[in-house]
Amino acid sequence: MERAVDPITFEVIKNGLSSVADEMALIIMRSAYSPVVRDSMDYSTALCDRHGQIIAQGLTLAVQLGAFPDGMHYIMRDEAANARPGDIFIFNDPYGSGGQHLPDIYVIKPIFHEGRIEGYACTMAHHSDVGGIAPGSTAIHATDIHQEGLCIPLLKLYDAGQPNRSLFRIIEKNTRQPIQVLGDLKAQLAACATGERGYLDLLRRHGAEAMRPYLEELQDQAERMMRDFIRQIPDGAYEFVDYIDGVGDDPQTLRIQVKVTVAGDEIAIDLAGTSRQVAAAINCPIAMIHSAAYCAIRCITSPAIPNCEGYIRPIRVIAPEGTIVNPLPPAACAARGVMGYRVFDAIMGALAQVVPNRVIAAGEGGPTLFSIGGTQNGRQFVLTEVMVGTWGARAGKDGVEGISNPAANLSNQPVELIEAELPLEVVGYGLVADSGGAGKFRGGLAFHREFRVLCDDATCTTRADRRDHRPYGLAGGEPGGGSQNIINPGAQQTGLPTMPMRAIPLRHGDVFRHISAGGGGYGDPLERPPEAVLEDVRDEKVSLAAARERYGVVIDPKRLTVDREATAQRRQTMRKAAKPAPAQALQAAK
Amino acid sequence: MAAGATHSIGIDIGGTFTDIVLLGPSGPIRTHKISSTADDFSRGIVTGVRELLDAAGLVPGAVAELVHATTVATNAILEQKGAPTALITTAGFRDVLEMRRLRIPVLYDLQYDKPAPLVPRRLRFEVRERMGPRGEIRIPLDEASVEAAAKQLQAAGVEAVAICLLHSYANPTHERRVADIVRRLVGDDLYITCSADILPEIREYERTSTAVVNSYVGPVVRRYLRSLANRLAQANLDAPIRIMQSNGGVMTAGSAGDKPACIVESGPAAGVIACARLARHLGHGNIISFDMGGTTAKAAIIENGEPAKTTEYEVGAGINLSSKLVKGGGYAIKLPFIDVSEIGAGGGSIVAVDSAGALKVGPRSAGAMPGPVCYDIGGTEPTFTDAMVALGYVNPDYLVGGTVRLNADKARRVLADRIARPLNLSLLDAAHGIYTIAAATMTRAVKAVSTYRGRDPRDFALVAFGGNGPVAGVEVARALKMKRVLVPPAPGVFSAVGLLFSDIEHEFLRTFFRRTDELRAQDVAAAFQQLEVEARRTLRREGHATEQIELRWLADLRYSGQAYELTVAMPRNGLDFDEMHRAFHGEHERTYGHRSDGDPVDLVNVKVLARVVRLAAQPYEGLAAEPAGPQQDEIRPRDAYFGAEHGTIATPLLRRRDLAAAPIQGPAIVEEYDATCVIPPGCLASLDRLGNINIELD
Repeated sequence: MERAVDPITFEVIKNGLSSVADEMALIIMRSAYSPVVRDSMDYSTALCDRHGQIIAQGLTLAVQLGAFPDGMHYIMRDEAANARPGDIFIFNDPYGSGGQHLPDIYVIKPIFHEGRIEGYACTMAHHSDVGGIAPGSTAIHATDIHQEGLCIPLLKLYDAGQPNRSLFRIIEKNTRQPIQVLGDLKAQLAACATGERGYLDLLRRHGAEAMRPYLEELQDQAERMMRDFIRQIPDGAYEFVDYIDGVGDDPQTLRIQVKVTVAGDEIAIDLAGTSRQVAAAINCPIAMIHSAAYCAIRCITSPAIPNCEGYIRPIRVIAPEGTIVNPLPPAACAARGVMGYRVFDAIMGALAQVVPNRVIAAGEGGPTLFSIGGTQNGRQFVLTEVMVGTWGARAGKDGVEGISNPAANLSNQPVELIEAELPLEVVGYGLVADSGGAGKFRGGLAFHREFRVLCDDATCTTRADRRDHRPYGLAGGEPGGGSQNIINPGAQQTGLPTMPMRAIPLRHGDVFRHISAGGGGYGDPLERPPEAVLEDVRDEKVSLAAARERYGVVIDPKRLTVDREATAQRRQTMRKAAKPAPAQALQAAK
Repeated sequence: MAAGATHSIGIDIGGTFTDIVLLGPSGPIRTHKISSTADDFSRGIVTGVRELLDAAGLVPGAVAELVHATTVATNAILEQKGAPTALITTAGFRDVLEMRRLRIPVLYDLQYDKPAPLVPRRLRFEVRERMGPRGEIRIPLDEASVEAAAKQLQAAGVEAVAICLLHSYANPTHERRVADIVRRLVGDDLYITCSADILPEIREYERTSTAVVNSYVGPVVRRYLRSLANRLAQANLDAPIRIMQSNGGVMTAGSAGDKPACIVESGPAAGVIACARLARHLGHGNIISFDMGGTTAKAAIIENGEPAKTTEYEVGAGINLSSKLVKGGGYAIKLPFIDVSEIGAGGGSIVAVDSAGALKVGPRSAGAMPGPVCYDIGGTEPTFTDAMVALGYVNPDYLVGGTVRLNADKARRVLADRIARPLNLSLLDAAHGIYTIAAATMTRAVKAVSTYRGRDPRDFALVAFGGNGPVAGVEVARALKMKRVLVPPAPGVFSAVGLLFSDIEHEFLRTFFRRTDELRAQDVAAAFQQLEVEARRTLRREGHATEQIELRWLADLRYSGQAYELTVAMPRNGLDFDEMHRAFHGEHERTYGHRSDGDPVDLVNVKVLARVVRLAAQPYEGLAAEPAGPQQDEIRPRDAYFGAEHGTIATPLLRRRDLAAAPIQGPAIVEEYDATCVIPPGCLASLDRLGNINIELD
C-alpha cells in the first residue's frame, strides 16, 4: 500500500462503516409503513465520504448500489458548498437530480464534523404512492412524466435543522397514502440520523484527518480488485441483443443492444443500437442503467470486493440519449425497472461468450409490478406487489426457484397479511411445473400468484414482460417458460398484454393471475442425468411428458423409475433429429 | 421427590465438551468438564453425573432435578438428520415452504443455492378448505382430500407430519380435524404438529416453517430424551429432567418432546440466563452478555434483569448478525428466543490475509480437530488462540488446568509466515492486530443487540465468559467505550451454571391483528384472561402450584402498515388503550428514533408469559469456589505484548483469589482452570462480594 495505512486500522474502519450502513437499513426495514419498503425491501442505505463517493452500503438491493452516485453528483455540484449543519436533502426527479422514477424518494443528510462536511448519510425508498394517474404511481400507461405524480427536484427537506413545512404539506396532499408516505419519510430521516451518529463516532475515534487516507484506500482497494479481475478476461468486444416484448395491445418489440468491450483492465458497456424512447412508462433514466451495469459486472467477480464506489471506476457505460436506456424529459418512467433488469440480462448474455462459468442464464426478467387499488369502508387502499421468483441455470448448477432476481434482493408479502388488511383473497401462490428451461442444468421454475377482488370496484395496473421473448438459455439450454397475465382464468378467461396500456377495472369476484417467466437452462438437455430428471418428476417439477419430449428421458409412470434402454434410444433419436448446435447464440431466444 | 433430594444438576452439551455443574443448598458449586460422546450424548452425561456425585460424596437420591441444555434439535437440522416429514397445506399453497420469503443473505453471488426445504415437494400435500382472516370458513374442509393425503404420506413412510393451513391462527378447527383424520388413518406413531398449536400467529411462511421444524426434529428429540431418562433411571437417577428452551425458561422433558422447536438455542440461552441472574444479584440490571467460545462469540442484552427477546430466528443460517437484516440462509422458527447475536469469531477461528490483502479473523474455524496450531494435533492454519499464545496472554503450560500443553513456538512460526510477513508487520504487531480485529468483528455482535435496538452500550456492563470471553472482553468493551467488564467465577462453565438458575417459562399468544380503534378494551382484556387460564392449566399439568405461578401481560404493537411489532409490557389490572399507546410510542422512539402519536396503531398479538421462579433463595455466592490454580511459587511474571503504545510488559500472573476489593492496576493476567482473563494496562481490577472480577476501563 502506497499511503500510510495500517492494515489493522483499515479493517477496523471498514467493519465500522458497513455496520453503520446495515444499522441504517435495519431501521427502515423495521419501522417503515408501506409493504413495498418493509416486505419487498425496495429501499437502500449508504454512507458517502466527503467527496460524495459511496464508502459503505446496507445489504438491501444489489441493483441500487449504483443508484446513489448520480444523485450525489448533483448534490456535490449544486449544494455541498453552501450546505449548513442540519440540512437534509430530498429529491425524486429523474431528470436533473439523479432520481430513478418518482416513487423512489431520496433523503440525504450531510454529516458535519468540526464545521466541515465529512460525509453523507444516504437513503432511498420506494414509496407506496406519489400521486399520478393510477394507485401505486407505477402505471405503465403514463405517456409523460407529468402524469406520474409529484416530482421533487433537489430541495431541502430540513434547512439548518428546521423542517420545510411547505414541502411536507405538498407531499402529504399529493399522495393517496399520506400516512404511509410520511411514516416512511420519518423512517428515512431516522436512518439518516443513525448514519450520522455512527459515522461521527468513527470520526471521533480515529480523527477526521487520520481517517481520510483509509477512506481513499478503501476506494482504491475496490478499484484494484476490480481491475485485477477485468485483466483476467480476454480482451475483445462481446455483443448481445435482448428484447422487451413491448407495450399495449399491439406490442412493438424493443431492442436492448449491448457491446461489452474488455480492454486491459477496463470494461466499456455500450448500449448503442438500443430502441428509441417510447410513449409509455418503461423508459429508464440513466441512474438505474448505471446501477444495473455495475451490478452485472460485480456479479461475475468476487463477492469479496468492498461495497464502495471505487469498483465502478474501471467500468464505463455509454447510453445514447433519447433511447429507452437514457430517455430525455418528459419521458414517462414509472415502470422503468424492467429495462434495468434487461440490461443486466443482456450483459450476462454478452459475457457468456467469454466467461461462461461465471454467468447465469436469464431468470424471470426482473420483478413484475402489480398495483391494485379501490375503496373499502370509505378508505382508499392500494396494494403494490413487486413479484420476483427465479434464476436461470449456471454452468454446473441448476437454476434456483423461489428466490429474488440476482440484481434485486426483494421479499414477498405474506398472503395472510394481505388478506387481513385488504379486501383481496390470494387464491394461490406457488411453482409452475415444466416452466424451467430444459438443459443439462435446468432453469428455475416460474411462479404463479393469483388475487381475487373482494370489494365492489377496484382497478389494477401491471407491468410484466418476457412472454414473447422468453428468458434465454445458454450453451444449448432451452429458454424458460413465457409469462402470462390472465383475468378470470378458466373457460371465460381474458388474456392481458404483458404491459397493458390502461388501468383494468375489476369487480367483486374477479381474479387476476400472473404467471412469471421461468429461468433459462444451461447446456444440452439430453446430457442431463436421467436420475436428475426423475427427481424432478417425483417432485412434480417436470412432467412425465416433458421428461420424454424435452429431456429424452423415459420414465415408467407407475413405478417412477427410469427406463434406461428406452431413454438411450429416445435420446439417440432426438440427437439425430436435432440441427447441429450453433457455436454460440449471439441473440436471446425469440 | 425423595426426601433428602437437595441438589440440582446442570448439564450443558457442547460439540467438544459437556459441562456438568452441581449445586446444593449450601457450599460451593462443583463443576466437571468431560468430553462429549457424540454417538450418544446420554452416555457421557450419565458417566459425568456419576463422577461428579462420587466426587461430592453424594448418592443419586440426593439429586432433586436435572436441568439440561441440548444441541440435539439443532444438530438434527444442521446435519439434515431429522425424521422423514410430510406437510399438509391449503390447496394452492403447497410451495409456501420452498418459496420462503425469497430474500437471500448474500448479494452478487450467482453461485448461491438456497437451503433445501426440510420437506421435499413430493411430500407436500394439499387439502381443499379455506379460512378467512377473521377465522370465517370460506370453503369447508373436504375430508376426502385429507384422506387421500393421509394415504399418500403413509405410503411414503414418513415418521412425522406438519399441518399448516391458511389463517389457522384465527381458527384452528380445520387443522385439528385434519390431524384427527390423519391420526385415525395412519396411527399414533406418526408425529403430528398443527401449526396453530406451536405458533398461532399470522404469516404463513413463518408459521409453516416453524411447524415443519417441530415435526422434523420431534421424533429425534423424543427418542433422545427417552434414552436419557432410561440411562439415568438405570443409574438410580430418577429426578425430573427439565430442558432449557431458547427463551431462557425451562420445560419438562415431556413438553420438550411436544415442542422441540422451542429448544434449538438451548445452550446460548443458558449463558444469558446466568448473566440475568448475576444482574439481579448485583442490583444493577443492565448487562450485555459476551460469550466467546471456540468457534463463535455471542452477545445478548439484559435490561432491568430481563433478557431481550426476539421471534426472528433462523436455525442453520450459518453465523450471522442476529439474522435481522440478512435473512433466508436457514430455517425460520418464529418462536420467542433470547435475542442472541452470534458472529464467527472464537478461539479456533482461522486468521488469514485475503485476496485484497486484508486481515480476517473467522468465520472459518479449525474447531477442536485439527484445532489451533499450538495444540499440535495437526492444525496448520493460524487461529485466534495462536495469536493469544504469541502475545503472552494464554499460558502454554496451563490450559484446562495444565491438562493440555501448547506448542508456543509452532504458533509463533505460523503467525510469522502466514500473517506478519505478508502484511509487513512484526510478529507481535501482527498478533496484536488479530486481537484488535477479532474484537472489532465481535463488537458487531454487541451492536446488533444494543445500538441496533436504540440502546447505548455505554449504559451497560459487559459480562465476559466462555473459554475465550475473559481474554477478549476488555478489548471489545473498549471499542464500544463501555466502562466496566465483569468476569464471573467459573467463566468456562458459566452457561451450565445458568441452567441452575433458570425459571419455568411458557408463553401463550393470541393474534388480533386489528387497529386498536376497531377493538374494545374489554375484548382484549378477556383474551388476556383466557390466556391466563390456559397458562395456569399448562403449568399445573407440569406439577406446579397455582400460587407459584407469575403471570405477565405483553402486547405486540405497531403503527398500521408496519411489518414489525414492538412488544410492550401491560399492567394486569384493567386494560387502558391510552396507556398502551403511550408505552408503544415511547418504545418506538427509543428503538427507532421516531414516533407518530397521531397515527393508527395495530394490536397484532397479546401474550401471557407464565413463569415459575425456582431457586429464588439460592445463594449466588457459592459460585466463588474454584478448583485449585497453579501453585503460588510457580508463578512469575510473563512477558505480554499490549500493542505499540504500551509494548511488552512483564505482566503479573494472578489467581482470582489474589484479587481483593481494593483494585489493582493493570496489566495483569488471571489464570484459572478453564479460562484466562486479560486485564490490559490502564484498567483497574478488583474482586466484588460475589466473586466476580470487576474491571474498570480507563
